[in-house]
Amino acid sequence: MNSNDNNWKCAKCDMPLVKKKTLFTYLGHNITYEVSRCPKCGSVFIPKELAEGKMAEVEAQLEDK
Amino acid sequence: MLEKIEYVRHTYSLCPICFRRLQADIVKTGTEYLLRKECPEHGFFSAVVWRGEQPSLEEWQEGVEPDEAYSGCPKSCGLCSHHLRKTCCALVEVTSRCNLSCAVCFASSGENIADEPTVENLSKQFKALVNNGNTFVQLSGGEPTVRDDLPDIIAAAKAAGCETIQLNTNGIRLGQDPSYTRTLKEAGLSFVFMQFDGTKDDIYLKLRGRPLLKCKEAAIDCCAENLLGLTLVPTVVPGVNDRDIGGIISFGLERSPMVRGVHFQPVSYFGRYPKAPSDLDRITLPEILRAIEEQTGGKIRIADFLPSSCDHPRCGFHGDFVVLPDGALLSLTVKRKSACCEKKGLTTLDEAAHIKNRNFVARRWKRTEDETAERAPRDGDYTNLDFILRRIKSHGFTITAMAFQDAYTIDLERLQRCSLHVYKGGKTIPFCAYYLTDILGGR
Repeated sequence: MNSNDNNWKCAKCDMPLVKKKTLFTYLGHNITYEVSRCPKCGSVFIPKELAEGKMAEVEAQLEDK
Repeated sequence: MLEKIEYVRHTYSLCPICFRRLQADIVKTGTEYLLRKECPEHGFFSAVVWRGEQPSLEEWQEGVEPDEAYSGCPKSCGLCSHHLRKTCCALVEVTSRCNLSCAVCFASSGENIADEPTVENLSKQFKALVNNGNTFVQLSGGEPTVRDDLPDIIAAAKAAGCETIQLNTNGIRLGQDPSYTRTLKEAGLSFVFMQFDGTKDDIYLKLRGRPLLKCKEAAIDCCAENLLGLTLVPTVVPGVNDRDIGGIISFGLERSPMVRGVHFQPVSYFGRYPKAPSDLDRITLPEILRAIEEQTGGKIRIADFLPSSCDHPRCGFHGDFVVLPDGALLSLTVKRKSACCEKKGLTTLDEAAHIKNRNFVARRWKRTEDETAERAPRDGDYTNLDFILRRIKSHGFTITAMAFQDAYTIDLERLQRCSLHVYKGGKTIPFCAYYLTDILGGR
C-alpha cells in the first residue's frame, strides 16, 4: 500500500484513520500538520515521505548551530 | 574600602608591549571580571573582560575547563596541531585601500595600494582553500569595493569551488553604484556584511568621520533589488552607540527579509584607535545582551541567546529568530547540550563544529528566492509546518556578536578555539592573532 493512500486502519483499534490537524513538538517548538490519526486511540500515522521530507527539513532548520 | 578580589581561573596571555607570553588570571572584583597579567619587563596589566552576572561568566562558559595552552601559542600560528578548531570561515584580504578613514579600524586600512593581490593570485588562494575543505570565504580589506575587478574576484572564488562568498564592506559603493552591486550578485556573491554603527548620523560622524546613514539605506535598497542578503555589523563603542543597540535591531527587523540580522562587534583596540583604552572604553558581551533585552523592551530576552559554539563561549553569542507576518519574533534558539556544545568539543579538537556553523550561517544570511511566505496562512496559524518551513528560510533573522581580542584582553584559551581564520601566504591564522597589534600599533 502506498503511504499516500488514505485507507489505513489502526492495528490496535481496527478503525479507519482520519485526517486531523495534529500538534508536534520538537526542541520546544510547536508545529502543526494534518496527518492520519486513529479517531479512537489517537495514534498517528506519519508517511515515510513526510518523515524524510518536510519533517526532516524543519528539524534541520530548528537545530541550533 | 578595599574591594574583595576573587580568583576565577588561570589562563595565558601576552605582554601588550613586547608580546612575551605570560601567565594570566581572570579575577572577579565586585561584578567585574578582569584579565590580569604581569610582564617582568613592562609591568602589570589589567583589562575588563566581562561585566555583570546576567549571565555570569561561570554559567556562560560552563564545561570549558582551563587547560595548559600550547607553549608555542600564538607564535606558531598558522595553524598548529594544537589548535582546537578547524576553519569555519577563511578571510581573504583583497586590498588594503579604503574609501573611509575611520578613527577605529582593526586593519589600519588607508590609501596604500602596495601588495594588492591580482585576480590570478587570489584565484590560486581560493583553490588552495577549497583543496583544504574551506569553501566559505569572506572577502575583506581594506574596503573590497574600491576594486573595480571585485566581480572578477568573486567569479574566481566561485570557479575555484567556494560555496559561500561573503563581502565585508562599508556599503558606500553598493548604494552609489547599483550596476556594480548587480554585477557582484551575478558573479556569485552570497551575502553582504555591512558596517552599520547606528541609526543616527552623529554616530557615524564620531566613528567614521562622515554622516553615512543615507549611504547605508541606499546600500540596503540596492542589495534588496538584487536579492542579496545583508547583515548589519555595528562596532559597539561605549558612550557612542551603546544606547542605540535596540534601535539598530529595530531598524534591521523593519527591513526583514532584506536585512538578515545584526552582528555586534564590541570595540577592540588593535590596528588603528585613538588612544590606549581604559576599562571605561570597553563594553563586554553580557552588557550587550542586557542592552538588547532592555532596549527592545523585553521583546528579545537574554534567554534567547547561546554562547558561540563554534568558537570559545567568551568569543560571542548567537540568537536565531523568525520574523512573523505580524512583526512578532519567534525565537528558535533552545538551550540544550548537544552537538558542538558537548564538553568534548570544548577541550579537544572538534571535527564538526566549523561545518555546522558554516551551514547555519549560509542558511540564515542568504536571501531565498521563494518569498511566498510573505503572506500569513489563511487560518492565521503560524505553527503550520508548511508555513514555518517557508518562513524560516525567507524571514530568518539572526542576532549575533563576536568579541575580538586585543593585546590587553588576549586570552590564549580563547585563541586556541578560534574558527575565523585569515588566509595569508598559504597559512590560515586565527583572526585575533593575525590582527594583533602592540601598544604602539606594531605587528
